[in-house]
Order: sequence, then structure tokens, then C-alpha cells
Amino acid sequence: MRPLEFSHYSDPLDLLRRFIQTPMKATYRINGARVGVETNDRALLPEFPLDADLTGPCALEWKLIRDADSPGLLEPPMFLTSGTLTVVAMGTACLIGLDHEACKFFGFIGTDIDALTFQKYLLPFLCRMTKDVLSGDPLGCFVSWSHDSAHV
Amino acid sequence: MEIIVDSRLDTTVNRPAYFRGSGHLVLGFLPPGSFITYDLLRKHVRAVLSTKAARDDCFWSTLLIPITIGILGSTVGVVPLHCACLEQNGRGLLIAGDSGVGKSTLTAALAQRGFALISDDWTYFSREQSTVVAHGLFSPIKLLPDAVQFFRELRELTPAMSLNGELAYEVDPARFAGSTVKNISRPSQIFFLERTSSRGCHFVPCTSASIREFFEKNAERLPDELIDAKNFRSTVIRTLSTLPSWVLRTGESPQRTSEAIDHFILETKYATA
Repeated sequence: MRPLEFSHYSDPLDLLRRFIQTPMKATYRINGARVGVETNDRALLPEFPLDADLTGPCALEWKLIRDADSPGLLEPPMFLTSGTLTVVAMGTACLIGLDHEACKFFGFIGTDIDALTFQKYLLPFLCRMTKDVLSGDPLGCFVSWSHDSAHV
Repeated sequence: MEIIVDSRLDTTVNRPAYFRGSGHLVLGFLPPGSFITYDLLRKHVRAVLSTKAARDDCFWSTLLIPITIGILGSTVGVVPLHCACLEQNGRGLLIAGDSGVGKSTLTAALAQRGFALISDDWTYFSREQSTVVAHGLFSPIKLLPDAVQFFRELRELTPAMSLNGELAYEVDPARFAGSTVKNISRPSQIFFLERTSSRGCHFVPCTSASIREFFEKNAERLPDELIDAKNFRSTVIRTLSTLPSWVLRTGESPQRTSEAIDHFILETKYATA
């Protein structure tokens, strides 16, 4: 049975899912940088060792939301960059936004994306995006990830 | 608003309209094959459309423009509130109430009685000096499948999946009700619809405080970073709360209820005169 917090989200006043609670939090060291991850589904926490250093700010935040209303499986990524926002869409099953100003990824991941798919495919993608963002090249990963998709 | 048309999107998988947000940033898909992003703080919209979408008038009038106005909303001085707006003899009336109470069926019945329709589900309010102006977007009236018991003409139609995933009839008010459709009105009274099990229609005056509470409670939740938008919305709601308003408790059909409203408006008009 799926946890209630993401399978029964029905707030008619939060159609954009901006206020979904993400109570599970952990901090990791990814490519040498401190990354804070918060989610509403334990299966979306990276299977990495936790960062032992509990002090200091995170270089980047990931907010990963398990979204029961995002159907389907992963599709080839497409991206759109607009000002301070970069969007990576892998179908409705996975929509990721990168807020460059806040140094924050926010992702909506459908329930059809199981833990294995997340850890094996999405997590390396997020890590690579993180590396590129922190190195000042936020689009580098997209080009190599999907040269066939529409790059705008 | 920056719009790019890219023919490479013509071959992408078609997806239903789908929007998600975080703080002041919103992103989503619009069929066919289009992406859109909003930065509500900077009031910046960027869309990449498939050529099919860009060439489709219906895409612009029923998806891109209404959704964009709805999402930008209070950040650009237009407050979307969940209520219907109709007009009779130049006087606008708002029909509000909790979800599922029958606002749309009552709206359809009022339109069939000759009230001009401004909006069914969402009405967009702007301020003009010290008053409020209501705007509609020529959207269809959305009726749930059980409305067929009140409107026989729906039997000839087939309900379809609407944008919010509900199965519904979406009817053109001009064709369905023979109603005049307008895009602007000045609201002068509000009816808050409540269903009761007892017969009859009862009009009970309501207070400014309860009007404010209703609209604040039923407005979209906005993040703290959009504080200016929140404050503007509250100003509009405060202005609306000064209008004469009644709770309308009805145990009658939409047609009988619309008749009662018609008579009530006439009586209050003469009483005021």
C-alpha cells in the first residue's frame, strides 16, 4: 500500500501542487558538494551514504515530490530554459524544474516510476545536472543526454 | 510573454494539460505538444508551441490565454475567484458556493431564463477606481453528468474529460441556452448557494465578514513570496464584500431556483426604488 501523503493529495486550492509536504529530509555529498534532499516518499531518497557533516549550508536543494497525478513512464528528456528557470520534461511522469536563483531542483515524479527506475536512471541524471549546475554549465548535461529531442 | 514555435514539437507524444509549480515558478504542458513556463515574480511567460498548437485558434482561446490569465492572476491585477457571473438589465450578479452545490446547473438555468452569461466556473476581477469589474473568458458551461436530469437537451451530447480530469458536458452557452454571452460586467449582488433537503428557496442576508471569509477560504493558495498578489486579492475581496449578498438555501430544481432568483431580484429592485 502506498503512503497516504502522496496517494491521496486532493487540495482543490493547490492545483499546482506547491504546498505538498515533504517531511523526509536528508543531506548527501554529491560530486563533492553538499546537497539537501527533501521528499514525501522515502523511495525518492538517494541510496547514497548520508553526509556526515551536519553543519553548513547546502550548495543545492532537491525537492522531489511523488505525484500520484503524474501518470506514465519516462520519456526522452526535453528541456526549456527561461530566465532563471530550466525545465526538464520526461513526459508527465517526470517534470523537473531548476530554479537557478534559489539553487533548487524541484521534481514531480509519477507513481509509475518505481524505486529501481528512480535510483538507476533518474538519480544519475539529477547528479549530473547537479554537477553541471555547480560547475556553472547547467545545460551541458542536457545536450549529451538527449541530442534527438527538441532543444529550445 | 515570449512565444516560440518549434516544428520539432509536432512529433512529440501528445499529453493532457498538466501544470505544476514551486513558489513563484510554474511549468507545464499544453496539448498539442507544447511547453510553458511562468515566473510570477517577474511576470514573465515563455512558451514553446508546436506548429499545430500555434495555428489552432481554439488552442489560444480555450487553453493558452485562459490558463495563462488564471496562473498569472493576481500578479497582473486580475483576481480569479471561484464563482459564476451573470447579468440582467445591466446589473451583474455572482453565484458562489461550495464545490458540488450546483452553481453550474443554476447558472445554466439562469442563462436559459435570459440572463446574460459572463462566466461559469471562474470569474476574473479587476479593480476600477473603488469598484470591481468582473471579466469572463467566453468559456463553456461545464455540467456534470447528473445535470442531464434537469436539462433534457444534454441527452444528445456526450460528456468528455475536462481539464481538471472530471467527466463533464462542456456546452456553448449561446447554443445551449440561447444566452447572450458577455465578457465584462459590474457585479451588484452576490448569492451564496446552499442545498437543503426542505422544499422552497430562502434568501438570508449575509454579512461582509462572511463574504470575505468565503472568498479568502476558497481562493487558490499562494506562496508567501507572492505577498503583493495576495494583498491585491484581499483588496478585491474586501470590495466585493460591500455588495448586497444573500445566502440562497434551496431544495428546488435549478429551474425553480432560477425563477426564485429572478423574482427576488425584481422584488428587491422595487423595494429599493
